[in-house]
Amino acid sequence: MSHPVTRHNPGYGRFTPLWFLAPAVVALLAIGIYPTIFAVVTSFRSYNITRRQDMLGGFPFVGFDNYVNALTDDTFWQSLLLTLKFYLTVMPLQIVLGLAIALMLHRPGLAFMRALARVALVVPLATTYAVVGLIGRLIFNREFGVANQFLGWFGIDAWDWLGSPSGAFIAIVTMDVWQWTPFVSLIFLAGLSMVPVEVEEAARLETKRHWPLLRYIQLPYMLPGLTAVLILRSADVLKLFDTVFVMTRGGPGSATDLVSVYVQRVGFKVFDLGLGSAQAILMLILTVALSRLYIRLFYREVQ
Amino acid sequence: MRRLLYATACAFALAGAAATLAPTPANAAPWNIEQAAAPFKGTELNVIFLDRPGYRAIIKLLPEFEKKTGIKVNYEIVPYENTREKEVLSFNSHGDLTLALVDLVWIGEFAENGWIVPVEKFTSDPAITDPNLNLKGFFPLLLDAFGSWGGKVYGLPFDNYSGLLFYNQCQLKAAGFDKPPATWEELYTTYAPKLTDPAKKHYAYALQSLRGETQSADSFMRVLWPFGGSLLDKNFKSNLESKGSQDGLKFRQSLLKYMPPGVVSYDHSEAVNALAQGEVSMITEWSAFYGTLTDPKTSKLGDCLAVAPEPAGPAGRLPALGGFSLAVAAQATEAQQKAGWIFIQWATSEDIARAYVEAGGVSGRSSIYEQPDIKAKYKFVDPMVASWQKGVPEFRPRFPAWPAISEVVAEFGSKIELGQISTEEGAKEIGTRMESILAKEGYYDGKKALLE
Repeated sequence: MSHPVTRHNPGYGRFTPLWFLAPAVVALLAIGIYPTIFAVVTSFRSYNITRRQDMLGGFPFVGFDNYVNALTDDTFWQSLLLTLKFYLTVMPLQIVLGLAIALMLHRPGLAFMRALARVALVVPLATTYAVVGLIGRLIFNREFGVANQFLGWFGIDAWDWLGSPSGAFIAIVTMDVWQWTPFVSLIFLAGLSMVPVEVEEAARLETKRHWPLLRYIQLPYMLPGLTAVLILRSADVLKLFDTVFVMTRGGPGSATDLVSVYVQRVGFKVFDLGLGSAQAILMLILTVALSRLYIRLFYREVQ
Repeated sequence: MRRLLYATACAFALAGAAATLAPTPANAAPWNIEQAAAPFKGTELNVIFLDRPGYRAIIKLLPEFEKKTGIKVNYEIVPYENTREKEVLSFNSHGDLTLALVDLVWIGEFAENGWIVPVEKFTSDPAITDPNLNLKGFFPLLLDAFGSWGGKVYGLPFDNYSGLLFYNQCQLKAAGFDKPPATWEELYTTYAPKLTDPAKKHYAYALQSLRGETQSADSFMRVLWPFGGSLLDKNFKSNLESKGSQDGLKFRQSLLKYMPPGVVSYDHSEAVNALAQGEVSMITEWSAFYGTLTDPKTSKLGDCLAVAPEPAGPAGRLPALGGFSLAVAAQATEAQQKAGWIFIQWATSEDIARAYVEAGGVSGRSSIYEQPDIKAKYKFVDPMVASWQKGVPEFRPRFPAWPAISEVVAEFGSKIELGQISTEEGAKEIGTRMESILAKEGYYDGKKALLE
């Protein structure tokens, strides 16, 4: 009678998996958890690093004062509403354009061109936000920008994009759509590639119309991707700073003063880190709430 | 009155300090910088520089200083908008900056927080202080505004600006003017209508107004003082609803029709470029842009460029005042502080003033501008020196609360300029927010002296 031989691996012990996990956990603690906890603690303190009385007082705890100040601050609400307006403007555009691009790339034929287009889609994504802002400044320059050149072809007078409140808002929307539509289309394309070939072929035999195919066959596979897009873009729009700062610094007036630009100003111009942290924590809560909402509304596993 | 008394007291204190701290050249002993720096050979200094002519000039001269002294100066070039942020974070975290580059509006904040060291700590040590230091050799306005706080000298004027009227004399001549406007009123009523032709996309004047310090300092504050207004009254309450302030702000609004449509998004570079390319006939800009406007690579103006003091308002000629001093950072080690002091003296000295100016810098030393060849070569010298004879050190308040107030002014100043709100509404909005900031700082309960 033979017994199963248990081979003892000398390098493997009870804690071995933990060692493999440790670097990731330590990194997460250091760059994710610790700063968040620090921000939470700071948000309950009077913490202005340029105010002598704060420093001498050891940055005293002030309870919920910073949260009350944030929530009663008109400018904070205005910038939050403007961010919502920005989000509600860019998201439909990105979803529609991203879907169109994904469907075009999903069509059979022209394999080389499709491969080339997929690579080209990565370029805006790989561009640094600040560079996108600089490109935006050039595109929308009143004197020599290509935006006015384009209008000129249709006999429309040059417009002062960055000098007018509506023009500046359109300009930042355009640059965001340029940068993030490819991301949306790549996510949708991944969803489309999940549709089983035989199901899609069977559906094509049933109907020649595109809409039922999209609605009943392809869309269910894209919903998880759409949920991910909504969650990621919500978080991203709430922290969109570099592009806007480089293009307009939040102006003219407060036409492009998104909430992240305002919070940066409170944190790193006024150096009121207590109030800035409270605003950032409120934005974190908003992001989490929106994420839960999206998952509840849109996320469906394909049956 | 209280502010006047305080300003007078400060001026006397400063004059006293200058007199006692600085031996005059008459009783000066020979200064040997090599000898003074010998104990600090190998010491490294860290400082932030900007990408502007004054810094490029000192960078050109640095090898001479390093060779003489053995002190190494490491500089990092940072955009202006990020400079204060970097410095404040370094001073709070005991970072590696050993020298502070101090904008005129940061002096109160840096001094009150103890981040920079008063020069009296070093001037009392003859081993490291040039007997020809001659603090009286700086334009008093510059030493007072850029380097002093509460009657104490902290930094020496290094990169110095005055607001000047740069104009295209060829365009003015073609319009029938053989001299620049002497007053804002003249600019508006006589010059601007003749020099503006929107059909040809040509405008008389451009005032850089991009949101940020450009809006608050270069655009908003520029129209307050000459019209008899100011940001604050003697009790540190808002003075923006006063007649003088409102006159200035309304004047800016009325002038907009003679400016390019997008001027509210113009930073310095756009305004300078508009003049350089002949699109506008006049701008009011910092003296430091003279180099850009005379360089054929960046300007079409050639001999058409001319420079004059900024126009006067009903309250007189009170041009924009700006600039930076260099100060020793309190967080530096003793050796670094002493080495830093030697560097600051050298960089702002009368000895290198000529080389500094010829390399593109603007020295704060008055003697260099008395040299006939310098006056002849640089057209900006005479109007700049004239502007520095009389000015308002608190053109922008220099107290620690300015950065927060500047943000408020930038927001509502842009809204006023865009016509989204009236000058009265804007003044009220700025005033309420500004007073709330000042109350938080302790200016209204007697905890802090009303220094600006």
